[in-house]
Amino acid sequence: MALKSVEIQAPRAANPLNDASERELLDRIARAKDQAAFRTLYGNYYQRLSRLLARMSVRHEDIEEVINDTFWVVWTKASDFRGASQLSTWIIGIAYRRALNALRRAKLRPVSDQPFDEDSISVGSTDEQENNQQWLSLGLERLPVEQRMALELTYTLGHSCEEVAAILDCPVNTVKTRLFRARETLKQVLPALAGMSGEHS
Amino acid sequence: MSPRIPDTHAEAWVLLPWLANGRIEAVDREWVEAHVATCAECRAEAAAQRMVATQMNREGSLLPDSAATDEQRSFNKLWARIEASESLAVPVAGTNLTPRVARGSRAVRWLAAAVVVQALGLGALGMSSLRGDGGDYKTVAIPAERLGAPAVRLVFEPAASINTINTLLTHQGLTIVSGPGDAGNYAAVLSANAVASGATAEAVADVLRKDPNVSFAEPVAR
Repeated sequence: MALKSVEIQAPRAANPLNDASERELLDRIARAKDQAAFRTLYGNYYQRLSRLLARMSVRHEDIEEVINDTFWVVWTKASDFRGASQLSTWIIGIAYRRALNALRRAKLRPVSDQPFDEDSISVGSTDEQENNQQWLSLGLERLPVEQRMALELTYTLGHSCEEVAAILDCPVNTVKTRLFRARETLKQVLPALAGMSGEHS
Repeated sequence: MSPRIPDTHAEAWVLLPWLANGRIEAVDREWVEAHVATCAECRAEAAAQRMVATQMNREGSLLPDSAATDEQRSFNKLWARIEASESLAVPVAGTNLTPRVARGSRAVRWLAAAVVVQALGLGALGMSSLRGDGGDYKTVAIPAERLGAPAVRLVFEPAASINTINTLLTHQGLTIVSGPGDAGNYAAVLSANAVASGATAEAVADVLRKDPNVSFAEPVAR
C-alpha cells in the first residue's frame, strides 16, 4: 500500500487528568454530592463523548441526551464505582451501551449511511492531508459501528486493547478481530487515495 | 518462568494498532518492535496505521467554536434535571445542594396559577362555549392509565415559539399526546428512556414550572 510514513501525533491520552485525579472527583461526588467536582468531570468527558457518539452515527441533536443520561448514572451511582477498571473505561462504557440501546430501540435514529461517493472528494485540492482525511471519513462510514468504535477508542482516545474490550464489553480477541477487519476494509478505500493522487498530480 | 515470545508475523500484525498509539502492553512491546524492525510488511502497515491515527486525531481537534457554549448549556439542563429529581428525595445530610422550596407551597402556588390560566381561557371563549362539563382542562382529562406512561399536563406562555416548545419537550423526554385544550393546555407523556433514567412526572413538572416559557405544569395523577 503506497502510504507515506508520517510523523505521528501522539493520540490524546485516555485521560486528560490522570485516573487518580478523576477518582478523587468521583469520590467528592459520591461523598458530598459536590457540584463543582461533577462539573469538572462532565467537562473532561463532554467533547470525548460527543465525538464518540457522533462516530456511532447518533444524530447531533440526540448526543446531548445520551451524554446527560450517562452523567445521570455517574451522579447517582458514583458510590457504586469500585475501581476495578479505569474511571474512563466505566464512563465511556456507560455512554456506549446507552447509545447502542437507544439506537436499537430506534428512538435515536442513526444518521443514514451515505452512499460512498468518490466524486465528493475534492481531488483537485493540493492539500494532501485534507484529501486523506476526506477519504478516511468516507472509509470509516463504511465500517460496522463496533469496528468504528474499536478504531475510535484506540486511535482517538488512545485506549489499550484491554481498555477497549472493557468499554465494548467483549473479549480482548474480539477487539483485535474488529480492528483487523476495520483495517482490511479501510485498505479497500485508501489505495484509491493513492491512485487518485497519482492520476491528478 | 520466562514470558512467551510469539515472534510471529500474524501475532505482531494484530498488535500494530497499539504499537501505533503507544499503548501496547509492556510484555509485548519488545518482541513486536523486534519483529517490525525485520519485517518490511509490518513496517509499512505500522506506518499506515500511524497515518490513520494521525488523521483521526486531526479531525477530532477541529471543534466548532460553539462547543464550549454547548457544553455549559448541556450541563445546565442536566443539573436542572438532577435538582428536580432530588427535590423529591429525602435531603442528604452534608450535601451542598441548594435548599428547595417546599413542595406543598409550590403546589398551592401553581394551583392558583392554574385557576388564573383556566379563567383566562374561559373568558376568551365566552360563556356560550361552556358546555357544563366543568371546563377543567377537558381535552387532557385522559385517565393516566390510558396514557400508558407518566404524564404531565402543561400550558405554555403565549410568546413561546414552536422551536422553544419543541426543545423543551425534547430535553425533558416528553411527547404531546393531547391538546391544545380550550385554555391552551396539553398532555404529554414521558419517554421510556427518560423513565429508565429515573425521571418522574413530578420531577419533570417541577423543572417545567421553573421555565419561563411554561405557565403551568402538573403531573397527571396515576
